[in-house]
Amino acid sequence: MARSGPAEAFVDSPIGKWEVQLRKGCLELAIFGCLWSGKLYGLEILRRLESDADLVLSAGTVYPLLSRLKAEGLLKSEWVEGDAGHPRKYYQLTAAGRRRAMEMAKLWTRFSANLKGLLSPVLKEDGK
Amino acid sequence: MIDSTGNAPKIEKYLARVRVALRGLPEREIDDILRELRSYVDEFAGKEVPGVEAALRSLGDPLELARTYRSENQMVRAQCSGSPLVILQGLRHAGGGTLERVTTTALFVLGYFGLGILWAAALEKILVPSRGGLWYIPGNLWSTTLVVGGNPPAAAVELLGWWIVPIAGLAGLAVKYFTDRIAQWWIGRYRRSTSIPRSVN
Repeated sequence: MARSGPAEAFVDSPIGKWEVQLRKGCLELAIFGCLWSGKLYGLEILRRLESDADLVLSAGTVYPLLSRLKAEGLLKSEWVEGDAGHPRKYYQLTAAGRRRAMEMAKLWTRFSANLKGLLSPVLKEDGK
Repeated sequence: MIDSTGNAPKIEKYLARVRVALRGLPEREIDDILRELRSYVDEFAGKEVPGVEAALRSLGDPLELARTYRSENQMVRAQCSGSPLVILQGLRHAGGGTLERVTTTALFVLGYFGLGILWAAALEKILVPSRGGLWYIPGNLWSTTLVVGGNPPAAAVELLGWWIVPIAGLAGLAVKYFTDRIAQWWIGRYRRSTSIPRSVN
């Protein structure tokens, strides 16, 4: 994706790097979340990440990750010849992928709830 | 569709570069990756105004994209493979410091060297029974020598006899097991995730 100068400067700043690491850490979980209720193809996953989680990612980031999750047995895929005039590769969670997604979602929820309590005074201060 | 816009050569050139850079992965896997990339470009170009150019830009540099695929896939394969070559490739792509990587790779090579010695000793005993085996000079246990491709020391007597064959065979398997496990543990620990979102809203 093309990025403007200020955005690039933000990514290179300490807080920007931290945000990148944070996003990196939850990207797998976000993909599991996209696929939880059904199968999607690559571009749909990209769009869903952007619209539902505000995660703007390049295709060059998501496709190799999907390939790796498939190699790990967490996703499975199938080619579908649709009306689009070209085949689409649909991904869906395997049983192992669903188990992993549930574990990660629980951990994430517990972690963020704990952190929220700790950070509430910080946010109160910021709101003043 | 794409052909009518004159973008086909751009796509073909891009995919050809990815294919070359993916060399080493199984051919079926490469075909599947390229088919998916082509499908993405077709889909994207059909819906977005900037079309093919933007789709290729979103995929990024073809060599970098192929490197990401290779490193992600090779490390996953290395973690569940028994092939030393696949594990070595996984070690090459894993993250961590250079010193750690070199040390682990050296230990891995050393482990397989030990495996080679043990199995060669077992084979030598089978092929040249009078020469192969574990030998020592009576009264001097420090002189114990595993003979591989040479002659036992003068006045030496054999220690294990034919037991050297199953013992060396099993010891070799144990060495391979632990060597592989250590390398795979290291790969898992330091797997360099390339899935770093670069875009920030």
